[in-house]
Amino acid sequence: MWRIRLHGRGGQGIKTASQILGSAGFYSGFQAQDFPLYGAERRGAPVMAFTRISEKVILERGPIISPDIILIGDETLLNDSQSAPLCGADPTTLIFVNSPHPPEKLAQKFSLVTADLTDLCHKHLNKRTIYSSALSAVGARLLGTIELADLLQAVEDELTQQGIVTQALQGNLELVREIYTKIEPAILTPKVEKTLITKPMVLPDYRPVVDGAPIILEPGNMALRKTGNWRVERPEIDYTHCNDCLICYARCPDGVIAVNPEGRPAIDYDHCKGCLICAQECPGHFINTVRETGLFP
Amino acid sequence: MKVLTGAYRKIKDLHPHEAIAPGTGLCAGCGGLEGLRMALKELGDDYIICNAAGCFTLLSVYPFTPLKGSWLYTTMGGPTPAAQGVRDALDIRMRHRGLEEKENLNVIVVAGDGSSNDIGFGATSAAIHRGLDFIYFCYDNEAYGNTGFQLSAASPYASATQTTPSTDVHEAGTEINKKDLFEIWKAQKPVYLATVSPREPIDLSNKFAKASHLKGPRMFICMSPCPTGWGFEPKEAQLIAKLAVDTGIFPVKEYYEGEVVHTVRPRKRLPVEKFLERQKRFRHLFKPHRQDVVIKHIQQRVDEYWGQYE
Ligand SMILES: Cc1ncc(C[n+]2csc(CCOP(=O)(O)OP(=O)(O)O)c2C)c(N)n1
Ligand code: SF4
Ligand code: SF4
Ligand code: SF4
Ligand SMILES: [Mg+2]
Repeated sequence: MWRIRLHGRGGQGIKTASQILGSAGFYSGFQAQDFPLYGAERRGAPVMAFTRISEKVILERGPIISPDIILIGDETLLNDSQSAPLCGADPTTLIFVNSPHPPEKLAQKFSLVTADLTDLCHKHLNKRTIYSSALSAVGARLLGTIELADLLQAVEDELTQQGIVTQALQGNLELVREIYTKIEPAILTPKVEKTLITKPMVLPDYRPVVDGAPIILEPGNMALRKTGNWRVERPEIDYTHCNDCLICYARCPDGVIAVNPEGRPAIDYDHCKGCLICAQECPGHFINTVRETGLFP
Repeated sequence: MKVLTGAYRKIKDLHPHEAIAPGTGLCAGCGGLEGLRMALKELGDDYIICNAAGCFTLLSVYPFTPLKGSWLYTTMGGPTPAAQGVRDALDIRMRHRGLEEKENLNVIVVAGDGSSNDIGFGATSAAIHRGLDFIYFCYDNEAYGNTGFQLSAASPYASATQTTPSTDVHEAGTEINKKDLFEIWKAQKPVYLATVSPREPIDLSNKFAKASHLKGPRMFICMSPCPTGWGFEPKEAQLIAKLAVDTGIFPVKEYYEGEVVHTVRPRKRLPVEKFLERQKRFRHLFKPHRQDVVIKHIQQRVDEYWGQYE
């Protein structure tokens, strides 16, 4: 059995990628299982999805702890200790990172494959960065046992179910074809299968109600949580032209543009989620957008 | 046309104070969050928010809160009864138990359109009837957003939701009209009632500033462009909000002392397509073929609305 774990952000099509990969595996004659895992957070927050592909019946359930392949759709996640995309990787794990430049330190430790999917998505998907097709194509190709025709069928079926229009579907299919020729099948070492053991059920004990009605004593402590790593693109104010009209400040939904004592706007990058409303709304277009590339530290 | 005379005239007048700390789990580009952010700037830090289960429940997730004030999480139908309970408790304690006036709190409900129009509707009507002294903030993203965008009574005609997609049998998607919550609430004559848009921060701020000096039920409906549910790029949230106003689809108005006043008026209304065509939830109106009858129907309803006032 091959276990593939996918990482990305809400809105990037990570869940769909795991579904396409599962369907493609199924069409190629394998047993398949796929499902996502995400918290209550919304678009932009880290998400995970899983695909298991096997010649035999799949009895294993739950998140994949020891993956054979890790597909990272968003390289900025490498810096994110909460999402920890490398968790459970060992020397037999193959890691794919969507990146224009192979992260060197990562390459020293793991077998690593990279490709600039963002660029390819821009090219085929009318500038949109939805990795559902691209990431599933990478996974299918690395596995080496999934036929192109089955992959294309899976892309078509899954995206049609989501109501994609014909033109966009064609773009996705071309994207998949290009990736299929670009990526080479990998040599994978199967992991030693563990026998499943049953554990006794844990029964919770009762607690007084006050334990379940917690109080937060520090107002505004949400700022301790950094949402800066949600960004795919970074807004940068061009201060030589900015005339301090403060429209950007007024329009930032997360309130992360502060006004400094001189009346100038300043972006708090620890928290800016990269919605780019500020860049869109600046009357003089004095906010530039730069793609974030989170290098492996 | 009566012009609202408020304290704010330009962006630079707005409070620099941020009432909501960053770091929340709400989507990047959430229009409703922008509305609430502006609203809370006007309401000071001494408040308790009674929140109905929905997207905004993510604002305060133990052990973190972005707020300076208190937060009481309630069931989807329960924020207004909770507000009544809190208001009563504060009043009784101030009257009989020596709670000082400076300890008093503004009681605010923050609820989605699903809660406000559906399960929480009756209890809120009862509270307006009793004249409960509270502020109600309904962020209207026009569906059950938190659970994946299913139909609510606020979902507009011809929008596609998870439970009312466009199909061969139901080409238009949602086939019923959005509930007119403003008119329904107005019929109960609350002290103050207004619609607000995150695109009009000055108008919004003036309305909350005004309401903060009144006593009794003060009701707000905030149009809340939702990139995730409506299907547009987060950066376009403000543009979508602007088009909703400019096409006349979303009237920005207030009801006060028996009179309805449109506080922001589109000078020359744009065709409704301009608003519809940018969102995935209306895409079936344009592709694979144009549903002219449906689009015309939407336009007609907007024209009829403004016809009453022009
Ligand atoms: C009685 C009840 N039914 C269903 C739910 C599940 N639920 C939680 S949030 C939500 C959506 C609420 O929609 P809305 O009030 O519009 O807020 P939004 O999620 O759009 O912010 C639903 C259906 C619930 N909490 N309670
Ligand atoms: S991109 Fe701009 S508007 Fe969006 S969160 Fe960052 S600073 Fe705010
Ligand atoms: S909107 Fe543009 S010009 Fe105005 S303050 Fe922001 S960056 Fe400067
Ligand atoms: S789903 Fe919509 S309303 Fe809910 S947090 Fe996201 S953008 Fe805001
Ligand atoms: Mg809603």
